[in-house]
Amino acid sequence: MKKCLIIGKPNAGKTLFMLNFAEYIGLTDVEIKFIQNKRNVDIKKLSIEEAKQLLSSNKPYKTTCLQSMTLEIPVLKGKKEIGIMDSSGLIDGIHQDVQVRRAMAQTLGAIEESDIILHMIDLSKINPDNIIGSLGEVDYQLSKYGFTKEGYVILGNKIDLLERKTPLIYLQKEFQEHYIIPISALNKNGFSEVKSFVCRRL
Amino acid sequence: MGYKNESKVYEDILNLLERGKVSTEYAVGKMIKQKQMNDNKRNPNQEDVNAMMVELDTLIGLERVKKLAREIQAYILIQNKRREEHLAADSLVLHMIFKGNPGTGKTTVARLLGKILCAMGVLEKGHVVEVERADLVGGYIGHTAAKVREQIKESLGGIMFIDEAYSLARGGEKDFGKEAIDAMVKGMEDYKDNLILILAGYKEEMENFLKTNPGLKSRFPIHIEFTDYTLDELIKIAEDMVKKRQYILSLSAKAKILRILSQKRIEDRITSGNARLVRNIIERAIRKQAIRLKDSGSFSREDLITLKRDDITEEDH
Repeated sequence: MKKCLIIGKPNAGKTLFMLNFAEYIGLTDVEIKFIQNKRNVDIKKLSIEEAKQLLSSNKPYKTTCLQSMTLEIPVLKGKKEIGIMDSSGLIDGIHQDVQVRRAMAQTLGAIEESDIILHMIDLSKINPDNIIGSLGEVDYQLSKYGFTKEGYVILGNKIDLLERKTPLIYLQKEFQEHYIIPISALNKNGFSEVKSFVCRRL
Repeated sequence: MGYKNESKVYEDILNLLERGKVSTEYAVGKMIKQKQMNDNKRNPNQEDVNAMMVELDTLIGLERVKKLAREIQAYILIQNKRREEHLAADSLVLHMIFKGNPGTGKTTVARLLGKILCAMGVLEKGHVVEVERADLVGGYIGHTAAKVREQIKESLGGIMFIDEAYSLARGGEKDFGKEAIDAMVKGMEDYKDNLILILAGYKEEMENFLKTNPGLKSRFPIHIEFTDYTLDELIKIAEDMVKKRQYILSLSAKAKILRILSQKRIEDRITSGNARLVRNIIERAIRKQAIRLKDSGSFSREDLITLKRDDITEEDH
């Protein structure tokens, strides 16, 4: 089974994307594994609606550990399984909370083991006058890391909040070498492109 | 750096991050560096390829092989470029048939190809496993397939070199050799990305063998004929050999080698175009020279490197 990891800054919409993507594939119930560490794994069965209520919020640092689930994506006449993993957000610098730091270390550890990396960037936070400042060092580093991985893609999230496409264009200019899919995790826009990107790599 | 070491590096970085000693961007940067270092090791190494190509070029004759190596090199380059542009890129089926008399360089070329293809990134390891009939054909029903599978497993990531391949078809209808061929064909199709199969043998026997197994021929896209070396080439080979061992052939010694070779050529056509014969002559000469010098008691630098006419002999006496 291939592993797919969603990474990005806090509050970029990683968890909501995972849940809405599962819904888009056709799931109504999900079985989510909460991986605190290798020995400590909780499994919860939730309906998608419950999960959205419980796991995603508009406050940063809602996700504090890796949350993974298995998706069955219909490919041609068969089905392919993929492990999709949601991670806690990465920020620049040194965070004062040990809990957050531990979660970030866990996220980075998971990058290495993943086949597909979906890098989520919040388009609504991009300031066209100061791209570098509004993106942050970690996003650049991750895009660099993406060169070493075949299944790396940038998801430009929250297009529903944009009035114009300028941030998207600026982002594409900034990461010319990478494939960027504009999506809205909330309204499920652009999911078919994500799906075909993932399916190509199964 | 081994795999264990590598994961240890990651662990250390992540530990530091967790303890708040380093910033996130520093940790990610470190991971990228580590990753690139590992990738460099796995990726095609241009310097290595060039060095091997030079080594191949120094081999006397074998024009066909040199051309093929260039073709493969170009093909791989283009496929990689295509992949970068997200165009369809095929992997290359490189199973080969080597035809030629003994001592015309088949095994040498196979070994070198293994190394070259490894450096180019086509093969994972590039080792050559030399296999003969006894390694493939079993003694009872069901034994053969298991044996073949084992050999294939061993050769994965490299080259499986079957010398005198036609011996597999020898032994008539009830022989297990046929079963070995079938199992082999299956293996070479299954692992065509990571295994190269080379069948080698005398020209005529190989051709008969391929005629009796029509499916086989089409599965080997590359056929190379190793022609016998000409006398000139053989002399060049002899010179190369002594040079590598830091000896020199005196003029009269060279003439004697030439005489022996041309005489052999008249007596026996098949083993005459033979680099192995040259090697034997040279090695024998080196031994003879050692005896001669020991008896004479003069050990000047000149003496030590020169092979004289008397040292060259046809047979051991």
